[in-house]
Amino acid sequence: MEKEKNTPQNTISDLLNDLKLSRRCFVKATAATGAALALGTGLTPDLKALAQTGKAAGGDMGQWIASTCQGCTSWCSKEVYVVNGRAIKVHGNKRSKVNGGASCPRAHLALQQVYDPDRIKTPMKRTNPKKGRNEDPKFVAISWDEALNTIADKIMELRKNNETHKYLLMRGRYTYMRDIIYDAMTKLIGSPNNISHSAICAEAEKFGPFYTEGYWDYRQYDVLNTKYMLIWGADPLAANRQVSYYSSVWGDIVGKATIAVVEPRLSATASKADEWLPIKPGQDGALAAAISHVLLTKGMWSREFVGDFQEGKNLFVAGQEVDPETFEEKHTNGIVKFWNLELKDKTPEWAAKVTGLPLDQIVRVATDYGKAGSQSISWVGGGPVMQVRGAYASMICHCLNGITGACDNMGGTLVNNKEYTGKFPNWDDFLDEAAKKGSKMAKIDHRGRKDFPCINGGKPGSAVVTNRAADGILNADPYDIKVAIAYMNNFNFSCTQPERWNQALSKIPFLVHITTNASEFSWFADILLPDTHHLFEKWGWVKSAANGYRHVTIQQPVIKPMWEAKIDETEVPWLIAEKLAQRGFDNMLRYFKTIKDPETGKEPANEKDFALYCVKYTTQNLWDPAKYQGGDKFNGWEEFRKAGVWNSAPYPFRKRWSAMNTKTKKFEFYSETLKAALEEHAKKHNTTVDDILEVSGYQARGEIAFIPHYEEPSTLGDEKEYPLLFVDHKSRLNREGRSANCTWYQEFKDVDPGDSVWDDVAKINPLDATKLGLKSGDKIRITSPTGKLECTAKLWEGVRPGTVAKCYGQGHWVYGRVAAKVFGKEPRGGNNNEVIPAVYDRLSGSTVRHAATRVKIEKI
Amino acid sequence: MPRYAMVIDLQRCVGCGACSIACRNENNVPEGIYWSNKITETVGTFPNVRYHYIPTLCNHCAAAPCVRGCPTRAMHKLDNGITMHDPNKCIGCKYCEFNCPYGVIYFNWEKPHRFWRSEEAAIPGGTASPKELMEKVGGQATPYFNPERTGTAATVRPKGIVEKCTFCDHRVAKKQLPYCVEACPANARIFGDLMDPNSEVSILVGKFRPFRLREELGTEPHIFYIRDYNPARYRATKGGV
Repeated sequence: MEKEKNTPQNTISDLLNDLKLSRRCFVKATAATGAALALGTGLTPDLKALAQTGKAAGGDMGQWIASTCQGCTSWCSKEVYVVNGRAIKVHGNKRSKVNGGASCPRAHLALQQVYDPDRIKTPMKRTNPKKGRNEDPKFVAISWDEALNTIADKIMELRKNNETHKYLLMRGRYTYMRDIIYDAMTKLIGSPNNISHSAICAEAEKFGPFYTEGYWDYRQYDVLNTKYMLIWGADPLAANRQVSYYSSVWGDIVGKATIAVVEPRLSATASKADEWLPIKPGQDGALAAAISHVLLTKGMWSREFVGDFQEGKNLFVAGQEVDPETFEEKHTNGIVKFWNLELKDKTPEWAAKVTGLPLDQIVRVATDYGKAGSQSISWVGGGPVMQVRGAYASMICHCLNGITGACDNMGGTLVNNKEYTGKFPNWDDFLDEAAKKGSKMAKIDHRGRKDFPCINGGKPGSAVVTNRAADGILNADPYDIKVAIAYMNNFNFSCTQPERWNQALSKIPFLVHITTNASEFSWFADILLPDTHHLFEKWGWVKSAANGYRHVTIQQPVIKPMWEAKIDETEVPWLIAEKLAQRGFDNMLRYFKTIKDPETGKEPANEKDFALYCVKYTTQNLWDPAKYQGGDKFNGWEEFRKAGVWNSAPYPFRKRWSAMNTKTKKFEFYSETLKAALEEHAKKHNTTVDDILEVSGYQARGEIAFIPHYEEPSTLGDEKEYPLLFVDHKSRLNREGRSANCTWYQEFKDVDPGDSVWDDVAKINPLDATKLGLKSGDKIRITSPTGKLECTAKLWEGVRPGTVAKCYGQGHWVYGRVAAKVFGKEPRGGNNNEVIPAVYDRLSGSTVRHAATRVKIEKI
Repeated sequence: MPRYAMVIDLQRCVGCGACSIACRNENNVPEGIYWSNKITETVGTFPNVRYHYIPTLCNHCAAAPCVRGCPTRAMHKLDNGITMHDPNKCIGCKYCEFNCPYGVIYFNWEKPHRFWRSEEAAIPGGTASPKELMEKVGGQATPYFNPERTGTAATVRPKGIVEKCTFCDHRVAKKQLPYCVEACPANARIFGDLMDPNSEVSILVGKFRPFRLREELGTEPHIFYIRDYNPARYRATKGGV
């Protein structure tokens, strides 16, 4: 609090002597002052503020402390301005070579999150034994001790009954401290059931890059050196990934490069692009196929990367097969097979019909893209890939980077730079027999079953199928779940067909939710534990990449955690471990004690030590001069902690050419890698690849299964009954699903093009609206074959006719008193997931959210 | 004496609103009041449609109608060109608000930040009431209250007077840029002294043909917009008959 320098005596003199005062003000001030003097309490805050006017502005009152924002997965390095233990501002950490001083708008909303009165102050337990959408849990406050004792008792009960596999850990927003709670703790207890949220993020995006260039992760793009950016269903000026960085350079890029955005609605990025391709939802693969066709027929492939015809003459002619022997490939594999099996008939004329885009635009974009050569980017976002057959859309949209030689090249698409963080120590020695046995049971999410290949990173059954866990729990398939702990997730809001999660969670006898706010998921919990806010109150670190660099950015408590909050990933497991040790099961605690402070060699003595040592331990290679391997150099932990961020070395272009993590080591148009993975999964189930593809819902059969290709979208709903395709999109103010309770979110919601403040709108093209008899402001119900939601209609030209575009993020019926209309009962706005069916891209396990369903709209 | 102005480069602006949210933060601005704001337009018919965004704020006009109309001289010009408001003299007549052609002046109809005085908790015993949280965290009016917003305009303005952007006079006095300028991730806002021919603002208003809002009214605004929000290119054509 600022010092109160004015005494009543001074103020009265000022008031009496200052001839510039108005009469009204004078009267007001003296009256209050008189009263205040009588009471001896001084002026009211309002008048104190007035009295201080005229005082010279002083120097800075606080200090900037480094931390990290996880409002989206840009994971920017930030600094927080703290004055007398209060966090009052957030800005970008200039030391980061990834985001620099730039900060997107959502970062400021974090201040309203950490000081959200609707945050849980204390552990709570449920007193209403009934669980349901309309059942008030009747939470009462309990002590941490009581909460931890109950949790420990429940875990010990599982151990006693040899049912450790019936323990489930659900993970939401994480840092790389996640291995403690998500992996180690789950395995040490003896369960295979650690379920992450990754499948509801954008896993399918990684499918294309892996099965072509051997890279299963998100990409960064060399935008400063590029001449053409073709962006598929991504909105980098609004949402993932590295919004701060791309916002900071866009003004310069638009002057140098041509930007084309493929997106059914006019997004923030499309508004600042040269071309907007308002594609029919689900048809991105067709456009990519046609563009590939044009690149090859016009001779615009990279001779340096792909190779050339031995005779020099371009034999890629529409409709004609090519003899593979005539082409000498360099750093790629299977370009001719790709042409023969898929591309030869995928002309722009064909694509125009399928995509609903003008022919001349398709040809122009393809040609200009080709002219840019290797300084071009095919930027694959969540749009084309988080669909039922999205894995192949991911491949064909991404493989353009291979055709032009942009892969790993200047001005092209890049991977993450090397970083040197370490892993936690191995916990194998602390696994007892029960743990080893339990961890080998089948998982609750059905990954790896015949119709869920989930071939992430080439390994069948390796990808989580987050949304499927609800069905597993509900049907006790393969068995029932008895004890579950979940942190910073909200699956019955963030997953499609959330009602299934309501039912599943009702079935779990004992559910713990570690969360900042009581959310929809919390409403089904037996115990709530107050969580720290990742930006202001937590120890952790995460990594991100942009601008040709990778950064590792730490989180540290910049203020004292509010109320009784504890850190989800490290402090809570430690406290549980202590309780388990008291009950005779000390494996976890003994393991945790092996994570010692690298500077002193000391063992953690309590949960606070543990949280800190976990970060120091895993980042040691970055800050310890004796362990230096590359990138920024620090003289020790303290210097690193103050800086808050480590930057990698600059990007090593082209190092991965013919050294890719694929079966052939090359960029695979014919993916031997995918073939091997599919064949392995087929073999496990004693069947053929074609059978796997059929039960998984794909159209490909035979060799086409191993190449990038167009698959028709699989959309629910009869066109007559449900006339509009539902288009989901994200907000530049969404902090994942958690910012709707911030008044600044509501006050500024119209920074999303077409949206409105303090409202949740579905944007409809005026042509469709006229047919439906709707006008802006009408309250409407949107219904799909699987659910419904209520919101407000908004007529907007930036929507493709035949579609309705609505932003995700609102529709909370709990979470807080701003996010919900009536807390615990009535939602503000509507949750998109209510209308989207629970379907999957089964090759990656991803939950589908695009081109999934048609809807109908009626006025209510 | 300097004459402060701001150049806003619409080509760099990405329409994110960080400027406006950051301003709320820096100046303890209450809900419903937008010191920093925007004008948005969706122009055209699908598929030839575009969305445009123009950031707005007080124009710190050299011939400010709000100053001319103020009966108490609460609204006044500083020597450095900032159109400043003295809350001590404001009688809340709203004449300035009516006179301003840009709608950037707002009246405090109620005591600001009512949200933070509420005594209701969502889960009694489990979550806090805003009032309880304020008592725990401290701060004035809001928990993330900025005490450095001081000196001339009040740290938070009381009920019954108007308020508007002051070009962060409290920061400028410390040789710091207005917070919206710092907060813009796109470097789309450029602040400086028009009296200095070598300042960035002077160079930019000479390099481009800036437009100002409602220039024809003669207010002499000091917010200069350069370039275009939508920088799209197209193939050369002569059209047709």
